Amino acid sequence: MQKLFRWASKWWPGLIPLAVMWGFAAWNNTLPVEADLSARSSAALKETVLDKTRIAVDGRDVSLAADAFSEEGRRDAVMAVDLVPGVRLVDDRTRLVPEATPFVWNAERDVVRVTLSGSAPLPSMKARLTEAARKEVNGVEVADQMGLARGAPPRFEAAAMLLLDQIGKLKDGKITITDTKVNLSGMARDLGGREAIAAALKNLPEGFSIAANEIKAPPYIFQAYKDPVAATVTLTGYVPDNSVHAAIATSASRKFFTEKVVDNLKASIGAPGSFNTAVVAALGALSRLSTGTLVVSDREVKLSGDALYEGAANDIRSGLGKDFPKNWQYKPEITVKPAAGPVDGTVCQQLFSELLNKGKIRFATKRADIDPDSAGILDHLIETALRCPTTNIEVAGHTDADGEDSFNQALSEKRAQAVIDYLVKAGLPATRFTPVGYGATQPLAGNDTDEGKAQNRRIEFLVR
Amino acid sequence: MPYLVSFHLGWLIASLLLGFCMGWISVVQRGNGTSKVTARWLAVLAVALVAASFTHVVPGRFGYWLDLGLVMFACYLVGCIIGAWLRDRVVSRSQPVA
Repeated sequence: MQKLFRWASKWWPGLIPLAVMWGFAAWNNTLPVEADLSARSSAALKETVLDKTRIAVDGRDVSLAADAFSEEGRRDAVMAVDLVPGVRLVDDRTRLVPEATPFVWNAERDVVRVTLSGSAPLPSMKARLTEAARKEVNGVEVADQMGLARGAPPRFEAAAMLLLDQIGKLKDGKITITDTKVNLSGMARDLGGREAIAAALKNLPEGFSIAANEIKAPPYIFQAYKDPVAATVTLTGYVPDNSVHAAIATSASRKFFTEKVVDNLKASIGAPGSFNTAVVAALGALSRLSTGTLVVSDREVKLSGDALYEGAANDIRSGLGKDFPKNWQYKPEITVKPAAGPVDGTVCQQLFSELLNKGKIRFATKRADIDPDSAGILDHLIETALRCPTTNIEVAGHTDADGEDSFNQALSEKRAQAVIDYLVKAGLPATRFTPVGYGATQPLAGNDTDEGKAQNRRIEFLVR
Repeated sequence: MPYLVSFHLGWLIASLLLGFCMGWISVVQRGNGTSKVTARWLAVLAVALVAASFTHVVPGRFGYWLDLGLVMFACYLVGCIIGAWLRDRVVSRSQPVA
């Protein structure tokens, strides 16, 4: 041992080159060591869930600043860095993400984008919610303005995902989760969207409830446009179901005797009550116009266009409102078409014949009550009669051969008189018209088929 | 410690070799070494530095440099001991039996 001390007393000169080497080693290795430890610490934190992680290494000491989402997560993160080989000390600057009370999350949709705001409990969930929103509103911009906070209610993600599924059904609106209460407002994109959303909300996860659902349905719109140039009536918009669709299409083809009906209607739920009655009545009024547009929006009916003569215009303005169910609004904007030039009796006769060839004045079965569907053709007949004011006109009634001759004779006379009454009521002088009933004595076709009978039942206008 | 050793292996081997050389020379070197008092003070200094290292009182880079220095010094000492011991054996064998 004494030997060793003797030798050791002579070792000190080596300390000088050793110190030089130490200097060089420190100079060369400090930065690589720090970079290496920084990389290893980052790798160690990969499995942990943290936000705003910052790692600073000074020598072998690591300063870890991060927002953790639980006390346990925070401890685990510090532990993970502490266990990295080579780390001497860990300066724990982690903190818990602030707790949000109440925990609020919003999804808002406007014309151009969907904005997600409020709080999300975890970064991964934030990304999943944004991704789900992107998928739902394919192509629309999704702005992620969500922050991170603790305090989300249990099953928050399931609830938020379900609500994000509804954002695609909205045209605009806002969905908010406040703790476990859900608020919805806005306008559904399609008819039926509001109902679909309400149905989906029944599947909200346990614990969540609807505080307010103020989703509005878009207006239920039915439109008809009468174009005299193309001789078409175009029907667009919605009808409640196929049977109402068929009823409206049949009614339209009876009312518009000179025009072709172009049917672009789609079936959809959400129609206001008494939709069928109102639309049929409004189509009747449209059929009396030479050109016009009908817009039925929810319970509001707007009719604009040109009536054939002043009397018809007044009738349409005042009369139609009565045909509508209660709490429907009627807004007529009726003008009168400029009167056509006068013509002589021959032309008038020709015009009458043309009109009555295209359409028929219809009556209730076996009665002399004029079918309201005939208002359109009667207006055209009146307009024509106004163009030849000096002529006298014989209004002739004909029936088919069904039933007794005397009954048919009386019926044909009554029907001719009913037509004249209608014309007089419209402002034409009664003296110009003579009612004549021919019963079944002048058939146009055989009475053995329904078609033939239908042709035989008619009113004719004869200029005398 | 394993990290320090593996990361600075080259430098530590160099320290060891340096120590080995110093140990080899010291056996046959004539003249006086450090006095006992100086040696004690140096030992105290070394112990103090080791204590400082283990208690982590020196922060940041200085702490790292201190650890590195101490590890290099330890290697140097080990090298010295091995060198001196081997040289002593060589010398004692080559001397004729008295």
